Amino acid sequence: MNWEVIQSYLPLYEKAALLTLKIGWLGIAFSIVLGFVCAIIRHYKVPVLHRIVGIYIELFRNTPLLIQLFFLYFGLPKIGISIDAEVCGVLGLTLLGGAYMAESFRSGLESIEPIQTESAMSLGMSRLQTIWHVILPQAISSSVPAFVANIIFLLKETSVFSAISLMDLMFTAKDLIGLYSKTIECLAMLVVFYLLILLPVSIIGSIVEKKLRFAGFGE
Amino acid sequence: MPDLGLDVLFKGINMQRLLGGLWVSLRISLIAIAISIFLGLVVGWLMTRKNIVIKAVTRVYLEIVRIMPQMVLLFIVFFGTTRLFGWNIDAELSSVIVFSFWGVAEMSDLVRSALISIPKHQYESAYALGMSEGQTYLSVIIPQTFRRLIPLAINLITRMIKTTSLVMMIGVVEVLKVGQQIIEANRKASPNAAFGVYLTVFVLYFIVCWPISMFSKRLEKKWS
Amino acid sequence: MKKIIRKIAAITLAAVVAAALLAGYAFAADDVVYRTVDEIKESGTINIGVFSDKSPFGYVDEYGEYQGYDVYFAQRLAQDLGVEINYISTEAANRIEYLQTGKVDVILANFTVTEERAQEVDFALPYMNVALGIVSHDDRVIRDLSEIGADDRIIVISGTTAETYLVKNYPDILLQKFDTYAAAKSAFENGTGVCWANDNTEVIAFAIENEGYTVGIESLGSADTIAPAVTKGNESLLNWLNDEIKALGEEKFFHADYEATLAETYGLDYEDTLVVEGGVVAAAE
Repeated sequence: MNWEVIQSYLPLYEKAALLTLKIGWLGIAFSIVLGFVCAIIRHYKVPVLHRIVGIYIELFRNTPLLIQLFFLYFGLPKIGISIDAEVCGVLGLTLLGGAYMAESFRSGLESIEPIQTESAMSLGMSRLQTIWHVILPQAISSSVPAFVANIIFLLKETSVFSAISLMDLMFTAKDLIGLYSKTIECLAMLVVFYLLILLPVSIIGSIVEKKLRFAGFGE
Repeated sequence: MPDLGLDVLFKGINMQRLLGGLWVSLRISLIAIAISIFLGLVVGWLMTRKNIVIKAVTRVYLEIVRIMPQMVLLFIVFFGTTRLFGWNIDAELSSVIVFSFWGVAEMSDLVRSALISIPKHQYESAYALGMSEGQTYLSVIIPQTFRRLIPLAINLITRMIKTTSLVMMIGVVEVLKVGQQIIEANRKASPNAAFGVYLTVFVLYFIVCWPISMFSKRLEKKWS
Repeated sequence: MKKIIRKIAAITLAAVVAAALLAGYAFAADDVVYRTVDEIKESGTINIGVFSDKSPFGYVDEYGEYQGYDVYFAQRLAQDLGVEINYISTEAANRIEYLQTGKVDVILANFTVTEERAQEVDFALPYMNVALGIVSHDDRVIRDLSEIGADDRIIVISGTTAETYLVKNYPDILLQKFDTYAAAKSAFENGTGVCWANDNTEVIAFAIENEGYTVGIESLGSADTIAPAVTKGNESLLNWLNDEIKALGEEKFFHADYEATLAETYGLDYEDTLVVEGGVVAAAE
């Protein structure tokens, strides 16, 4: 290990990490919103919309982000739609993440037995109250593990942004290896930076997961 | 009608080459999936045991896989093992190793969380009814676990198939790379090939993954 | 709380394991793996790294066959060694890595000889001349790098000499980096970046083959050469290659190569400027 090399690369990695974080979190924030909306639309079968959302979810859950990005970034301009690389990254991550979040959240909603709604209503709660006080807390808590997994999955997926020329961590490492052949240092820094980004998420995720496990009774 | 650049697909054996490329990705994922399901079930069950050593080891393993992007792992295995051990592993084998390493971890985590999501009273009631541990697992826990597990596991399978698109980055000539080669060789004759080719690759992946997802949905419905 | 502590312990351990692996990786890094000429002959196959998306130097045609100037040479090498070729598709930034880890025996991927690279791999005698060139869209032709504005981006391919040159000499110019030729060209066509910097051979070919582009700068940086590269220390293969290149000079092999693969793109005008025969670079004009 050559520490001087590591030091001289540090600013580049920091910049790359910031880009990874920026696009990653923007994409994740949007995908949570998108996923939530889609899940509600699907679960409560909003007319027309739920079909469209269904097609969207199937399309984006069943194709790789890399291909989606290639299509968005290289394919679409051929028919006159040009999107900037960063926007493309956020858009791609949002579309992919939205589809995943929607499914996780929907399966959370579906895991709640109808009897709960019936009991809540028979206790005199309104439909909204039932959703707010009974369904959502349980749905969220039972989809938390999947949510956390999705967030980590999406952050990791940012590594494919290199394909559309975004200078994220993966691209920076590959680029520096190509330029100066300091493979070991570059890969080591890559691992360390991903650890720095993803470890906190993983730790916080599992704490939240434990704290929110109030859906399973009998323990 | 704008030129969608679909004509290149019918030149020479281009379509056949794309499908060949798809098969390369699929072969890698199928092998890795088989390994992952088998080992994942075993490791996942081990993880619910009380043994502290097993717990520690699996935890560490899981954390490494959980937070390292597959692309990083691919690079480390493909270029790293040669440097470290002098093994010359080709790109396809490296991919299988990385995807299995990742798949086993994710699968076992799913198995673990499915197992622990079964409330304790289910075990207790089964024991109270006089069932042995084996019987409890076989007729009470496993059926319930599977119902929770299958949708997530199939989600993982499609995810693995999709993630094989990354193997292009370590030089496996799979569907996306073939696509790029086609675009490149026909740049002059068919300037819009990028649209047609990437759309086709998108559709091909969808055709592969969608039926699998549908199958899991049907199973899910049937069992609930 | 206990669980969280345990979790953190596990994670620390994970980090330590990762670090240990990397450290081991670092210590073993000097072991270079390569195959000698005899070993290659014995195995019956030579692994040659070429581009698969860099027409007309290394690309794949619609029948799935590798073609191009580099490939034509590769075929001859295999023929004279009496072995089959296993082509390995490389990207610019991977080339050194492929040699150092023994994934390929020879790189014939339009590899420009530079001092930095020569510290990592061994170059044989050259077979082509090259400099850098810059191609722009017709509506705004860049004829000098001083025309590049503060917000303009130049497209480069990661791991190429164009990238190294610009990073070193023009650190203030913004670069838009791609990792494959195919990606860089598609993006350039789609209007990303004001111009594209690469080997002049490549940008000239691009401007000839595609309408709407002009090579504003034909030669930038130093005049370099392109040569086969082998893993550092692989003398047996290096010597064999050098002898081969010298011998091929007798029969004007690279001129024939040019005429078979490049003439269609460049015409015959560039033949003597590009081709290096017998490993001897003609004195600068």
